[in-house]
Amino acid sequence: MSDFIPSGADGQGGWRAGLQKLGGNLAGMVIPNIGAFIAWGLLTALFIPTGWLPNENFSSMVGPMILNLLPILIGYTGGRIVHGQRGAVIGSVATVGVIVGTDIPMFLGAMIIGPLMAWILKYIDKVLDPITPPGFEMLIGNFSLGIAGMLGAMLGYLGIGPIVSAITNVLGGGVSWLVDNSLLPVASVLIEPAKILFMNNAINHGVLGPLGVVQAEETGQSILFMLETNPGPGLGILLAFWLAGPKLLRGSAPGAIIIHFLGGIHEIYFPYVLLKPQVVLGAIVGGAVGVATFMVTGVGLVATPSPGSIFAYLAVTPPGNHLGVLLGIVLSAAASFVVSWFILKLSKVDSSEAEFDAAKQRSKEMKAGK
Amino acid sequence: MASVSASDVKQIVVACEAGMGSSVMVARQLAKQLKSEGITVVHAPVNQLAETPHEIVLVHRGLSARAKQAVPDSVVIIFDMFLGDLNIAKLVGALQNGDTISDG
Repeated sequence: MSDFIPSGADGQGGWRAGLQKLGGNLAGMVIPNIGAFIAWGLLTALFIPTGWLPNENFSSMVGPMILNLLPILIGYTGGRIVHGQRGAVIGSVATVGVIVGTDIPMFLGAMIIGPLMAWILKYIDKVLDPITPPGFEMLIGNFSLGIAGMLGAMLGYLGIGPIVSAITNVLGGGVSWLVDNSLLPVASVLIEPAKILFMNNAINHGVLGPLGVVQAEETGQSILFMLETNPGPGLGILLAFWLAGPKLLRGSAPGAIIIHFLGGIHEIYFPYVLLKPQVVLGAIVGGAVGVATFMVTGVGLVATPSPGSIFAYLAVTPPGNHLGVLLGIVLSAAASFVVSWFILKLSKVDSSEAEFDAAKQRSKEMKAGK
Repeated sequence: MASVSASDVKQIVVACEAGMGSSVMVARQLAKQLKSEGITVVHAPVNQLAETPHEIVLVHRGLSARAKQAVPDSVVIIFDMFLGDLNIAKLVGALQNGDTISDG
């Protein structure tokens, strides 16, 4: 079972590191901007016609923020990652082309064109820098960015916008199909194990979030924000480890529960599952029960709850949805607790002490050896 | 195998995927423990490790391959638990005793 735990550098190279890297880059463009998403989410929850305090003036900010500001921030950050401030500027310029080329929130398009144009500019700079005469740096620097930015915006308008909006429609159609056929809970079979392997941000911010935003813009809320972020399954697992887990891990579980459920740092429960990989079944069942509850009660959130804390959840839950949202979290925690508890109890009978001595031994060897 | 002497360690960087969540938490805990040693502890996304000055990298096992890719010549310490990890405790001990620290 220790094979499941990627053992250092050699055990997990290849596809997993590659996938993590791709997803990490997608998430890296979104996560620094989460504050802006929250501002938008709060404005939406409060002031849209179905919100807590409907207000026509304030709600007029909702559209421009989601359609313009947030994609530009993503394009900016994507460009910055590749080529510093100049990359950020050209990424923002080009993102505008993608935005006006379509009528849906262009997160995925911004994630493509921002880094792409920054990368192109990086090469343009590499060519121009050595041949720029002294005193002409600013002139050439400004105009090379300006001209490339103009062309990038045109490319975004004509090429990337339409392509990405077609892709988004297909993916969105796939999701609606899953919802219509009540198959969405099956998504947990993929999502929960991938989370444990530290692909949580990639899944949520790279894939589900951008699709959810499209849905939320049309219908005011989306269940897609809840697939990965539900803190219920992790809560159930940590509770099970607290009450029935190996003695070595029990002590830290209560602290981990607070950090996970209230602080929203889901990473804290991944190591527990990695040490007892069978428990991932608890996460899957809990996740599926949660999604099923959200689906049956017809609830959704207005924005990505990030970090996935119960407080963030409550903040982005639209009026009237609180019962379903809380019910889903509670039921998913209960389901994951029951399954994890049984797994921990059963695995204890046959293997507990010897296994932990072996685990201790292993970590000692690791410490001493390398 | 990279290694570094405790007396040369000025800054430790804790990496996680976004550099904003779990790494911040671990970095703050560690900073408290290492304050008296005059070592600063910062946090960073794993793909920006190369741009972050450091003598030691601390990263969860799940991201260790990417950390090694990003900074192949740095000392990379791998941990398993975000709370009460043995490797982190051992690192703190080694820094306090002035030992040599190598990958692990």
